[in-house]
Amino acid sequence: MLDSWTDDQLLAALGAAIRARQAVPDALVEVGKGAYAWHRIDAELAQLTYDSMTDLTAAVRSETASIRALTLTSPHLSMELEVSEDCLLGQVIPPRAGTLEAQTGAGASTETTVDEIGCFAVDPTPASPFRLRFRAADGTDVLTGWITL
Amino acid sequence: MRDDQSVIALVTRAAGDDQQAWDELIERYAPLVWAICTRYRLSNHDIEDVGQSVWLLLVEQLGKLREPAALPGWLATTTKRECLRVVMAARKSQQLGSTVDDTLFADERAIDEQILIAERNAALRAGFAELPPHAQQLLAMLFRDPPCSYSEISATLGIPIGSIGPQRARCLERLRHSSALTAFGEIEFSISSPRGGHGA
Repeated sequence: MLDSWTDDQLLAALGAAIRARQAVPDALVEVGKGAYAWHRIDAELAQLTYDSMTDLTAAVRSETASIRALTLTSPHLSMELEVSEDCLLGQVIPPRAGTLEAQTGAGASTETTVDEIGCFAVDPTPASPFRLRFRAADGTDVLTGWITL
Repeated sequence: MRDDQSVIALVTRAAGDDQQAWDELIERYAPLVWAICTRYRLSNHDIEDVGQSVWLLLVEQLGKLREPAALPGWLATTTKRECLRVVMAARKSQQLGSTVDDTLFADERAIDEQILIAERNAALRAGFAELPPHAQQLLAMLFRDPPCSYSEISATLGIPIGSIGPQRARCLERLRHSSALTAFGEIEFSISSPRGGHGA
């Protein structure tokens, strides 16, 4: 295709390509390079399987709109989350005790206890995006995908 | 680009442990992510949020991409989804109701074309980077908008006005035969020639 272009077309396309790169804010590139720090973390991953925000049938119930319900599922367990502006409540299913670490994309981390019925609270709600890592005494180690609020 | 060996190599290296390969992927694809975000008229702050989510999701995907060449498509789809999430969250918090109008869904053909333009632009930038510095300088002065005059180019680069035309032709020929553009040209595309527009 490029072979059939005239010199003028090729030059115009090159200019557009260079300008398209220059238009990108540095912050977008830097945040991308920094994201590689999350590469190769050794835990089972839990993926988002339900999100009330993208569930249009749930969105109709406007009174619950301020609380977002999420479900994340890994091969061995799932996590039910209810996120409000103030705090994040969750439960590990099947229930088991352990510790829960909330990690933000910016690098902050807070740890909280998961009780024997699998419940936990992260207060205040972590800054978006964040991910949760649940570790139980039996060696279970599950990391969620990134959650965006 | 289904068969772009350079992208496949970058993804494979980044899936191992190679920050430099990862950085190159980001440099290459940031314009695509940016171009899609701007379609949704997001603020710069929201675009950063979307970008961060997209890059973090990409880190997770690195080892799982069965076809590294499908990366641009995956990035475009993921960016679009993250943009929609931000737009819907903003609407909900403003109590604007949950109706989702058509403007939220940039049409698929437009997204496909954006991927192609982004790939073409990446190839053009890579080809440009292969050129020697003097060729880059000359072309940069020529594609500036508005372009520099030949007398300005002559004064800046110290070359006679009469040789600018022939040098321009030689530099563009070199660009055309750079390995990046040769690899790109081997893949058939159906997008129209540019009319000097500002694509992804």
